[in-house]
Amino acid sequence: MLHSKTRDAMMFQIGLAIFLTIILLIILIPFWRVIVTAFIPLDIYTREGVPFFLSPTQWTFEAFRQLLGHSMFPRAIWNSVVITLLGTAISLFLTVPLAYGLSTRNLPGRKLIMTLILFTYLFSPGLIPVYLLITGMKLTNNYLAIILPPAVSVYNTLVMMSFFEGLPEELKDAARIDGANELQVLWHIILPLSKPILLTIGLFYAVFFWNEFFTPLLYLNDNNLMPLPVLLRNILISASFNEYVEYNAFSSASIESLKAAGVLITMIPMLLIYPWIQRYFTKGTLVGGVKE
Amino acid sequence: MKNWKMIFVVSLLVLSQILAACAPAATPTEAAPPEATQAPAEPTAVPTATTPPEPVDIVLWAQATVTEAGAPPEDWIAYQIIHDELNINLTYVIVPTGADGEAKINAVAAANDLPDLFQMVSANNDNRGALLRLVDLGLMAPVEDLMPLMPERTKLHYNDPLAIDLVSFYDHQYGLPEPPPIPKREGLVIRKDWLDKLGLSVPTTPEELFTVAQAFTTQDPDGNGKNDTYGYGGFLNGQGLGTRFDFIMGAYGVPGVWNFSGKGDFGLNVRNPQYKDALTYFKSLVDAKVIDPDWPTLTRDDFRARWKQGSFGIMWEDFAALTNKSNYEPFDTNFPDAEWIPVASPKGPNGDAYYGVYTGRGQIFGVSQKAVDEGKGEAIASLLEWMATDGYYLLGFGEEGKNFIIDANGNISTEGLDPVEAYTAPERQPFTQMRNQLVFYNSEQEIVARYPEYKTINGRTMQPMSFLGFFQEQAWVDGRGIQVILPPANAADFDRFYTEGLIQFVLGQKELTDETWAEYLAGLDSLGAAEYEAAAKQALTDAGLLK
Repeated sequence: MLHSKTRDAMMFQIGLAIFLTIILLIILIPFWRVIVTAFIPLDIYTREGVPFFLSPTQWTFEAFRQLLGHSMFPRAIWNSVVITLLGTAISLFLTVPLAYGLSTRNLPGRKLIMTLILFTYLFSPGLIPVYLLITGMKLTNNYLAIILPPAVSVYNTLVMMSFFEGLPEELKDAARIDGANELQVLWHIILPLSKPILLTIGLFYAVFFWNEFFTPLLYLNDNNLMPLPVLLRNILISASFNEYVEYNAFSSASIESLKAAGVLITMIPMLLIYPWIQRYFTKGTLVGGVKE
Repeated sequence: MKNWKMIFVVSLLVLSQILAACAPAATPTEAAPPEATQAPAEPTAVPTATTPPEPVDIVLWAQATVTEAGAPPEDWIAYQIIHDELNINLTYVIVPTGADGEAKINAVAAANDLPDLFQMVSANNDNRGALLRLVDLGLMAPVEDLMPLMPERTKLHYNDPLAIDLVSFYDHQYGLPEPPPIPKREGLVIRKDWLDKLGLSVPTTPEELFTVAQAFTTQDPDGNGKNDTYGYGGFLNGQGLGTRFDFIMGAYGVPGVWNFSGKGDFGLNVRNPQYKDALTYFKSLVDAKVIDPDWPTLTRDDFRARWKQGSFGIMWEDFAALTNKSNYEPFDTNFPDAEWIPVASPKGPNGDAYYGVYTGRGQIFGVSQKAVDEGKGEAIASLLEWMATDGYYLLGFGEEGKNFIIDANGNISTEGLDPVEAYTAPERQPFTQMRNQLVFYNSEQEIVARYPEYKTINGRTMQPMSFLGFFQEQAWVDGRGIQVILPPANAADFDRFYTEGLIQFVLGQKELTDETWAEYLAGLDSLGAAEYEAAAKQALTDAGLLK
């Protein structure tokens, strides 16, 4: 009986391992193909297409050179960095007090405020009213047009609110007894305990602003303010319409290579940030915070 | 102190609420214009006042010729010249292409904030429809009064009465129809080196085309010892089987979706019994596996990669996509001894040999009513006239002697110039961004400059213009009337049924018999095909495009 159970468990483990390996391959193979496509030389691509393996001696950085070497690339990446950092900072600055306030159960009008917030979650105002608001505030051609409208995400606020609600009330009471006001409670007690949620929500915001594409197209008319996703899109459009571009200037890498390189370039910053933040996702921060 | 902090926290809360309410949807959809007025606003006459003493601010929105290059810098010499010569402060904004551009225009239209002069942008290439929607909202100004103010431009750009008709609504001309990109620029080409190797002649009938395609598929025309070639290569683009196979349908007299041959015969081409014969022939090519079997799913980029890899020997291609040095070079490197030659459309059983359908869609510009109300009409006309006269070379090629020269034959050239300064250099592209939208009008000098001859690796002279000339000489159906045909309300369902049905027949997923064909036509009728045809016929008749 015991032997049978052990064997069943082992079979389950083997089956699970096979299943997870298949899942892993399903994820890795397309990703590997993107990498190969990004580094494939034009002559091999036009002769053979994209092979599964490419000899390391054949790899070329031409697609990256074409994208990163673009005269507007430094400006575009600077714009993206500014939008991402400023947007994340403003979003956190606004989301934290909102979430904290809402996590306070005796907040006057809490239900009404929650209803109003959820209303905006369920019913989007649409493009035109937001456009009218932005132009009315004279924010066109301004980073704030990209940053302010989505600065407070209802979803992120609710997640953060739930986290704050989970913090022991005794900690806040202790601080209040010591004479701290609500702002001091938030600053000195809550925030130091909330690194995981701050980093997690901050990452959500950062990814959102880093990938933001449509609103810059809509509100920014100045080419010098365009972020990286817009530049990459413009390069790809040019490459794919090159029969109309008469001049021999834009064809040193295949369109597929440019697309793949663009994917990798935009992924890299977020790929670098994720592992660094991952430990905060699981790390407990309240150990020892409350003594029974 | 405590009160101050409380006020701060409360203020933050209130501000957060307001901002949260402003958050847009994650993926904005097409902007809905505001409530349309029942009829277009009564046009305001263009003021004919004398040049105002203060410079006129004009905002121009147009798509880029080279999207990646960006707009010209603020110190662009053209801005200064326009200011000095025309008393205009020009702001040039590059508007995005496709759905993004359409959403942007819709948003500013809803805010009654349209730019003074702008290009219509449509996600589905329906620029005329985009103009009409704005006209119906009363946001566009009629432009007849501007035409006499720009005589040279009118002569060079707005000289096609049909194009003018297509941008005229409610007895007024509202659009400025720019000349379409070089018309009839696609055509049928074949690998001459493969024909020579197999001792074959250029096919002139569908049957001969079949024979050649079969030989290209089975007789190793590239001599590499592998069974890795196909006779024909293509991909789907457009409604039904798309334009890449129109020459096949043309051999049976049924190219394209519509039959434009006359009022009595007008309707969907699938009504014509010849259409089924054309499909039967097409199916025989598919069944014999002489067409690259990936054609139903191939993208344009994949298709272009494949002919450069030597995958097939017959195809339908844009002349510039085939012959421009930048496009031809990878193929030339792989196959320096290869040679593509243009081929006339095969002549079908009834003697039909249509190459395709010429739709002649061009870019449309419009002037906002707001701009005219602000007295900018005359300045806009003078700017457009300048672009067609004194500013033509500057906007199209740059500064003469620095970015281009005009050689002894009167051709545009870059010979002897600093390569970085040449108008063809990547660095110079921001300075000629308006050229394809507002400047070029397909003059011979332009086209020769845009598509110059060059030598291939083995020393053969490549002449893109000879391909273009050949394609343009073929018999094309004049389908420009398609621009007045509005899609039916159930366009998505209709198009899906129409296209998928044809593909299923050709691929053999559905047997092609008289009964199944009748069922297919009945299916189209159940989706309102007859009403669609009647509406299209009425629109064409009203526009005087159906004789």
